Amino acid sequence: MNITCSNLDDLLFDASPLSMRTAEEHAAQCPACAEKLEAWNEISATAKSLHTTWQSDLLWPRIERALNKEIAEGKRRSPLRGLSRIAAAALLAIGLGGTVWFAVREQVRDAKFDTKIMTLSALDEAEKAERAHIQAIANLEKLADAKLEDSDSPLMGAYKEKLMLLDDAIAECQANIDRNQQNAHMRAQLLSMYSEKHQTLRDVLREDTNVSNQ
Amino acid sequence: MLQAAITGIPMTGPATSTEDRRLAASCAAGDTKIFEELYRRFGDRMKSIAWNHLGNAADAEDAVQDTFLKIHRAAATYSGEASFATWIYRILVNTCYDVLRKRRRRIDEAPIEDEEGVMIERPAPSVDDAKRMTLRKLLDELPEQRRSVFSLFEIEGLSHAEIGEILGISEGNSKWILFSTKKELQEKWNRNRSL
Repeated sequence: MNITCSNLDDLLFDASPLSMRTAEEHAAQCPACAEKLEAWNEISATAKSLHTTWQSDLLWPRIERALNKEIAEGKRRSPLRGLSRIAAAALLAIGLGGTVWFAVREQVRDAKFDTKIMTLSALDEAEKAERAHIQAIANLEKLADAKLEDSDSPLMGAYKEKLMLLDDAIAECQANIDRNQQNAHMRAQLLSMYSEKHQTLRDVLREDTNVSNQ
Repeated sequence: MLQAAITGIPMTGPATSTEDRRLAASCAAGDTKIFEELYRRFGDRMKSIAWNHLGNAADAEDAVQDTFLKIHRAAATYSGEASFATWIYRILVNTCYDVLRKRRRRIDEAPIEDEEGVMIERPAPSVDDAKRMTLRKLLDELPEQRRSVFSLFEIEGLSHAEIGEILGISEGNSKWILFSTKKELQEKWNRNRSL
């Protein structure tokens, strides 16, 4: 298989024995990729050594004591006692909640308005950037799709699988964002997924151009 | 009968069975013999997962203990969507997240180091300590989810399907997160090496 440096990441993403062997063959002739691959493998080897265990003769007896205590308490607790506790807690919560609500309402009102405006504007900007990115990717996707379908090469197969996985991951991330729109970490993750997809589609188009030039 | 059932449970695995449900029912009923068997089977890996999230043996043991109490409290709600083993690891990882959140609220946090007085056993003693310390430091800087995916796959050897069930994400997302995390680590690793 004709591999270039730009294919290394796709092979590492695929991580199948065949892909790793192909990456090693390429690295044997490319010092830059050899360095990357060495770090990649070193991280995995070091990670395996982080499986950590130790003798802890006292841990199970401690867990058993805690479990027995909890089981015994559960048996002693009558349903009526449980209900009265819940009722008392509910009354206390209503009383405290009401007081705090009245005290805080006025102070919060102005601050909340400002924060809401700022949050909405930040969200708006993030969504605009995402929409532009998605549009650019959709354009690339149209070009790449036909070429991916036409090719039987293993590399194109790996690209197809990667793109499918990325689409799944993007859909899942998007669903999480829909549940919590202000989750900045998820938004950053989504953006990095789109960037990866963007890059992969560009690689597909470039790869196909290389192939058709040969 | 239950003893016979429990010896058949795999260390992990996405398939659920009536045995898993029976196991959950015994835990809900407070059968400590079953808990002891669970501890014997999963204890080592649970300690390792907790240690790699929390960085010290004392906190890791507390997290394992809390997990067993949570298993007892929640076993009645076990639905069988995931295997019982995966379900246990999910509770453990969430317990570790709780500890990390509480810890973050503390102002003075001691740096994480191998503790004295605990004989740590590792399967690959040939890997040098400097590399291990570097990787631990880099893992410590990762967001929770990335750290979990990396630890569960690279350190504990779980599959992406199992990790997906533990963390509530798809298999593809787990694969993607692992790749992007390793890319990030790879860059930092090389930077560290050139220092």
